Amino acid sequence: MTLGPFFPREFGQGANDLTVLDNNKIKGETIEISGRVTQGDGAPLDNAILELWQASAEGRFDDPAFCGWGRAATDADGVYRFRTIRPGAPAGRAPHVNLVILFSGLMRQLQTVMFFEGEKGNEADPVLSAVQPAALRGRLISKGQRDGSHRFDIRLRGEGETPFFDD
Amino acid sequence: MKIQIDKRDPLTQPQGVEPGYPQTAVRWPSQPLQKRPLTASELSGPQDVLRRLAPVRGDLAGHGAKRAIGQLIYLKARVVDEDGAPVPGAVVEIWHCNAAGKYIHPNDTHDAPVDPNFYGAARVVAGDGGLVELRTIKPAAYPVPDDPARWWRPPHVHFSVWGRVWLSRLVTQMFFPGEPLNETDAVLNAIRDPEARERCIARLAAPVKHPEQALVYEYQLVVRGRRATPGLP
Repeated sequence: MTLGPFFPREFGQGANDLTVLDNNKIKGETIEISGRVTQGDGAPLDNAILELWQASAEGRFDDPAFCGWGRAATDADGVYRFRTIRPGAPAGRAPHVNLVILFSGLMRQLQTVMFFEGEKGNEADPVLSAVQPAALRGRLISKGQRDGSHRFDIRLRGEGETPFFDD
Repeated sequence: MKIQIDKRDPLTQPQGVEPGYPQTAVRWPSQPLQKRPLTASELSGPQDVLRRLAPVRGDLAGHGAKRAIGQLIYLKARVVDEDGAPVPGAVVEIWHCNAAGKYIHPNDTHDAPVDPNFYGAARVVAGDGGLVELRTIKPAAYPVPDDPARWWRPPHVHFSVWGRVWLSRLVTQMFFPGEPLNETDAVLNAIRDPEARERCIARLAAPVKHPEQALVYEYQLVVRGRRATPGLP
């Protein structure tokens, strides 16, 4: 069905665990972020590539002991999964993870940001509070699951459409 | 160091929904993209992708009995940043279909033969001068699967590159000069500005006495800025 990227399967796999680097366990609270990516007619995207960029547990982007970058591919049900450590709050920001979505039929990469449910700093975050209308901001906040994981579904278009950012 | 990011020029970027490409209408958001202030989060990025991703295969063509079918080519790509400065050490991913128009991918349903000696994916690191060189075979054109418009993709090569910061991530396609299908391709022609389109097309280097009798194509990846290479899916 898809037209390029027939993004090589091996490129999409093996880079979605940010809790280990050079065989060292990263300091911080291990969390799982997962969700389902769907398009305008509700169909799930198979082999969509999600890349993530986040701060370390201390809120740093330049921590040499941590690589805050990862990549996951969705499966046939549109589901992606990252294992990572819970990011700290960078200066002036609420804890968050940046996400970019790459897929065939997406003429440009799509940028979005996930915030964590229940974080006090969310309201004051300059990026979250830039989203207009304000009613859409909740769509950028993860939903805590019973098993402790964070769910963040992404709808490219249509009902419940995720807000995306100009890059 | 103060990082500056130039605005993208809309003339050099696809707009999202392309009339000649039906899938774009179910995938591109219906709402305008949100504006946001840029903070350290967007203006930093992974400096060490190779700690997460290992390099794979710098040669897709193979040798002898393992030689892939197709016309032997060398791709010489140069990675430069928004100021035109080369980016040595840039990680570049390259993938393309075989000489019959078939990708090594379970989702490619095109009825064309697989070449057992061709695996169309490489991950390489730019050397001095931001140069990346890939020995490979020229990919073929292929019909877009299940598309009622029955259009064909011209031969093209996918590139993915990391710039200095999160917002300089670039994924794009390189095209070959002189291909008639370039004129009608819905992907390439999604870029309205003819000069920006030209930047997506490689240049055939003057044929020289190449030790392998290969044709050499030269290409430049500009990761950001006014002269940036347009991103393509």
